[in-house]
Amino acid sequence: MTTRGERPGSELEVVVTGSGPRVGYLHGFVCEPSGQPFLAALAGHGLEVVAPSLPGFGGTPPVDDIRGIHDWVWHLSDIVDRSGLAGRPVVASSVGAMLALELASLRPEAFSSLVLIGPLGLWDDDDPVTDPFSTTLGNQRALLTSDPSVTASFFDDPSDLAPERAVERTVRRYTARTASASLVWPLPEFGLAQRIGRVRVPVTLVWGADDRIVSPRYADRFARHLDVRDSIVVEGAGHLAEWDSPAVVAELAARAMRKQLADD
Amino acid sequence: MKTIWFHLMPYPDLPDDFTSEHRSVWVDIDPSLFDPVVGHRMYNEYIDELEFAAAVGFDGVGINEHHSNAYGLMPSPNLIAASLARSCPDAALVVLGDSVALYNPPIRVAEEFAMLDCISGGRLVAGFPVGTPMDTLYAYGNNPATLRERYHEGVELILRAWTSDEVFSFNGKYSKLRYVNCWPRPVQSPHPPVWIPGGGSIDTWEWCAQTGYSYLYLSYFGYKAALNTMRGFWDRVESAGRPRNPYQAGFAQFFGVADSEKEAIELYREPAEYFFNRCLHVYPGFADPPGYKTLATVRHGAEGMVERAAREAAERAAAATRKADRKKAMQSFSAASHMTFEQMVEKGYVIVGSPDQVAERTVEMARQLNIGHVMSLCHFGNMSRDLAMHNTELMASKVLPQISHLWDDEWEDHWWPKPLAERVAPHRP
Repeated sequence: MTTRGERPGSELEVVVTGSGPRVGYLHGFVCEPSGQPFLAALAGHGLEVVAPSLPGFGGTPPVDDIRGIHDWVWHLSDIVDRSGLAGRPVVASSVGAMLALELASLRPEAFSSLVLIGPLGLWDDDDPVTDPFSTTLGNQRALLTSDPSVTASFFDDPSDLAPERAVERTVRRYTARTASASLVWPLPEFGLAQRIGRVRVPVTLVWGADDRIVSPRYADRFARHLDVRDSIVVEGAGHLAEWDSPAVVAELAARAMRKQLADD
Repeated sequence: MKTIWFHLMPYPDLPDDFTSEHRSVWVDIDPSLFDPVVGHRMYNEYIDELEFAAAVGFDGVGINEHHSNAYGLMPSPNLIAASLARSCPDAALVVLGDSVALYNPPIRVAEEFAMLDCISGGRLVAGFPVGTPMDTLYAYGNNPATLRERYHEGVELILRAWTSDEVFSFNGKYSKLRYVNCWPRPVQSPHPPVWIPGGGSIDTWEWCAQTGYSYLYLSYFGYKAALNTMRGFWDRVESAGRPRNPYQAGFAQFFGVADSEKEAIELYREPAEYFFNRCLHVYPGFADPPGYKTLATVRHGAEGMVERAAREAAERAAAATRKADRKKAMQSFSAASHMTFEQMVEKGYVIVGSPDQVAERTVEMARQLNIGHVMSLCHFGNMSRDLAMHNTELMASKVLPQISHLWDDEWEDHWWPKPLAERVAPHRP
């Protein structure tokens, strides 16, 4: 489902899967809603999964008015409202998790709980976050997941793709990669450490054991500031753990969110 | 035709095992490889060479800006230009240039270029490059998604600062200044000629075609490989309804002149191999950060790839051809780092030979590319000062007289500085 907003740059792409209590999913570096097994796996736990695309990702065009993290956060705030996710439990991955924390630090009612998969946003000089863009595209892909083939729906074109569609897919991929880069350039630390203590909602941390972007050691750094109810490392998964291990991460996330929904 | 003696200022003492033991000449090159004593010698000798080129008759001296780079050791070209403004009394100062997006606020560029134009009495060419990803995004941390917008806004601010008769406020997206008041102001009116160095972005072609700025294709890979790029630029100039005046374009080219071709090959083999094999050893992972290219360029490249893939489908898998323009450029870097001198000459990376041979090939190059400004690289790699001066002297005395009249009867150079007729000469105590 894609809806067009009233002002330029406010196009919204949202994929809705399943039925049941509504939960959200905010993607990380890779957004390919139609080719992501994790959404179906999560919906399989009796949930309605609402997955919006951030500006420049998926099928949405880049937005010219984004200058920095402040603009990203107010765009996300709008997206959360327009996609019906305000006050709901949300799973957020990678840069999506960073933005979710930024928004929750400013708008406490934005989410009722968060499952954060390999969040970015904090920085330790002695344990720096990897720069995923100072490498070739092939290496970059290998940095994101433990098994690079799991992101084929984003990185690879079907062999029988029509030439015009191939051009469009190339442009779409480049637009998404540009949006990704702009979120972490030159390094993904925009002052979250000063604000993260304002986040009040319960948090579950999920980390791929093979995360080559942000080490699982960062779980402790996030836990110092957040109300962490559970912290889990998924063996065999990389930075985008929900792509490597969709069933496992969906089960962990569904369990955490169902518990929170029951508590509410 | 105008010939500018252009210097990159490469570090001359990279170790023999540099390419096998180090990842890149740019961005993350080992800081311990730089010896400040070598730096002292190098900068002074390189300034000697530029001054010598101006003295023996080159039309201009040219310099540019790089960062964290062992083949381009001018983080601040304006420092060198200030020295040359005094020591080269007649040559044009072609600064190619200041990477506008790296100056915050960019009014600094307006001020320093105006200073250079005043000191030199109106001999400045103002170059405004976007800058490479290695310089702008990795070494200076600009965001790729906003780099070009920041750049264009900066150029707009500089030109308004030079030409406004009033103090004004500038409410840009990236620069917000309550008071814009450029003191000093440039000698040339309304401002120094603007040249835009580029690497093949079709948006830059389009912009130069629309605005009338001069386009400089700064490739290291010879004129034979530049034909498509320059054809793309000239197509847009024609579409914009402008004449194909060759002075609206320039090209960088390596030259090696000697009394004979055999001698030239002997003399220039080592510095050329040093430059192409060692200085262009750039880690490919720095070449193509997402967002550096415009979407128009990405689309253009993808469409070209699709067409090519269709043509070559019978020969190989289409996936292997799905490469973007920037990646191709970096492949050229990579390929060059394994070339013999003979291959460099054959591909036109370096024009070597006797004065007559070099003149003939230079005219051929200028006609094929339709350029009026040649950025001649007569020093390259680890060339000694003596050899650079020998090359420069032969070029000035025996080649330039054969090529400088090209275009004289056909075109006027509207992109050359217009200095004061009466200029102050340096007073030497």
